[in-house]
Amino acid sequence: MGDVEGSPGSSMHGVTGREQTFAFSVASPIVPTDTTAKFALPVDSEHKAKVFRLWSLANPHMRTFHLSWISFFTCFVSTFAAAPLVPIIRDNLNLTKVDIGNAGVTSVSGSIFSRLVMGAVCDLLGPRYGCAFLIMLSAPTVFCMSFVSNAAGYIAVRFMIGFSLATFVSCQYWMSTMFNSQIIGLVNGTAAGWGNMGGGATQLIMPLLYDVIQRAGATPFTAWRIAFFIPGFLHVLMGILVLTLGQDLPDGNLASLQKKGNVAKDKFSNVLWYAVTNYRTWIFVLLYGYSMGVELSTDNVIAEYFYDRFDLKLHTAGIIAATFGMANLVARPFGGYASDVAARYFGMRGRLWTLWILQTAGGVFCMWLGKATKLPIAIVAMILFSIGAQAACGATFGIIPFISRRSLGIISGLTGAGGNFGSGLTQLVFFSTTKYSTDTGLFLMGIMIVCCTLPITLVHFPQWGSMFLPPTKHVEKSTEEFYYGSEWTEDEKKKGLHQQSIKFAENSRSERGRRVASAPTPPNTTPSHV
Amino acid sequence: MASNGFLLAALFLSCFLGFSLGNIHLSSLPRTLEVTASPKPGQVLKAGVDKIRVTWVLNGTVKAGSDSSYKNIKAKLCYAPVSQVDRAWRKTEDDLKKDKTCQFDIVEKPYNPANKTAQSFEWTVERDVPTGTFFVRAYVFNSAGQEVAYGQTTDDKKGTNLFQIESITGRHVSLDIASVCFSAFSVVSLFGFFFIDKRKAKKAAAAAEASGH
Repeated sequence: MGDVEGSPGSSMHGVTGREQTFAFSVASPIVPTDTTAKFALPVDSEHKAKVFRLWSLANPHMRTFHLSWISFFTCFVSTFAAAPLVPIIRDNLNLTKVDIGNAGVTSVSGSIFSRLVMGAVCDLLGPRYGCAFLIMLSAPTVFCMSFVSNAAGYIAVRFMIGFSLATFVSCQYWMSTMFNSQIIGLVNGTAAGWGNMGGGATQLIMPLLYDVIQRAGATPFTAWRIAFFIPGFLHVLMGILVLTLGQDLPDGNLASLQKKGNVAKDKFSNVLWYAVTNYRTWIFVLLYGYSMGVELSTDNVIAEYFYDRFDLKLHTAGIIAATFGMANLVARPFGGYASDVAARYFGMRGRLWTLWILQTAGGVFCMWLGKATKLPIAIVAMILFSIGAQAACGATFGIIPFISRRSLGIISGLTGAGGNFGSGLTQLVFFSTTKYSTDTGLFLMGIMIVCCTLPITLVHFPQWGSMFLPPTKHVEKSTEEFYYGSEWTEDEKKKGLHQQSIKFAENSRSERGRRVASAPTPPNTTPSHV
Repeated sequence: MASNGFLLAALFLSCFLGFSLGNIHLSSLPRTLEVTASPKPGQVLKAGVDKIRVTWVLNGTVKAGSDSSYKNIKAKLCYAPVSQVDRAWRKTEDDLKKDKTCQFDIVEKPYNPANKTAQSFEWTVERDVPTGTFFVRAYVFNSAGQEVAYGQTTDDKKGTNLFQIESITGRHVSLDIASVCFSAFSVVSLFGFFFIDKRKAKKAAAAAEASGH
């Protein structure tokens, strides 16, 4: 499975259709262990770890995992650090609801662009410098909060801090250089979920810091500014740790990078074409905007919502708001797991139904949250909403690897950008105007989630079917090879450039569910040894 | 099973109903107190520096003995309508439990019906008061802690006799300096590492070439 460094989509290199089987390790006959390598964990021929040992700090694999997810976590903490302190900030800076809403929109919009650029940066400088550059150059933006004195400054600083969310890309890229593709799904899913938890942890951390600093004698309008120094320090600390303790590859740093195997560089324009012309890409961009997107929006508004509606103290509102984001610890992996279990019995159709059920349930609970007038009911509704939305995020990435093999990297990037875009849009429409109170905004957001999840009924794979339709009966079109092969022109096929796609197609036959045993041999399959 | 379902449905539906029986409404309170505050209309006060002198006395035209239930007075600083625009967290509600107009306490003093003279208190505007337009309102409480009367410095429409307060910025020179120092440290150490690393890599490559790899 020699993947080519630097080619488009290679930032997700090693990703196959088997991701979400959530294996913790790969047994030796499947991927042979390189016994000459002297690492703490068993490694494959590229010296990528075959085992995911969570509690280990072994250099370089597990150390990289922990450095990477903690960096991503730190950026989430600083991006959403203002949210639980808004009740104080809005009085200090004399903000209106529109100002607060706009700041929330800009805090998630910056990373749409920075995530796109980050892939290229990782290809050029390596994930270690990509991560370190971003996290240390965004530290000044966090410290800038101490200068802010009006709405414009507040919005600008939150926009700049939001760029740091591109550490998601460096995190996933770095994981894929260190872990074998058979376990990369679990590794990436865990890293992403634990990083996302930062959005919840910050709702706990910032009010706590604010409280402590206030008790130490600072006035409220100064205390919140001092509190922002802590996320800033974390940025600098993590940046230094990444630079001193991290390395790009199992064997060393980027300077020793060598190209192995076939140097069949794919043309970016082709890869982009096949991503953009596949209608499923756009449906998932929309869908992710209403699972990840609403999660980010809620991170921004939920603490202020509980503070105002139920007259809670700042740190009580923070604790409740934190449970929303912290549910990521288990909810996101659960979504992926549920998708896998459904796939075992019903194949891809099961995955589609699972995603629809989880995301729609999230939407219904969001509607309930908006309507709740008693605190215990609101908390229950919020927790159920968080589980639905975050599990839907996990389930989404159970399907994405199958949309395309050639353009997987770009589709993943577009989906991620769609999440941020959906977040900006919902905050703009529902939480930045005085037309709707926040509780009405939540109710309407819930309705929008349910409506925007319906397009998943249109996603149809000829070889596996869709939610309501069975796979096509056409003998040739009903094969996985035909679907993944159709991304290559006849010329490219003659040159044998599509071999990895064919191999992937064979692996993906598990998405037929229980029917795998009865799958007919396709008549015109390109033999694997040409 | 059916009764379980019914209970669940009732519980689910009950969260859509809001009950507010028994709460005191401002419109039901008599305005028996005359309250005045020292700031002139339109005057701008600085938080943390300037003072407000609040004076209150029972209205002379009120029936004798109507203040027998009055136990104490609480004076508060309240937002004028112009400072409530686009800010739902400062909204005026008639139900006093939900009302958010008056968020800053000035003083709480006991009320003596025998003492008919005006009482006053001088308050330094606290440093957590935001920039805005304000007036002063005083609530009278009975022994059960319920509001029984009130008075305010402005008219019923809250349009006259308003004054402004300018908040502190919350910024400090020491914070600004610390901010610049840490930011500079972050950027300098990043580029420092980068260039040192590059030089090491060049040296290693040169050494590898020299030893004939």
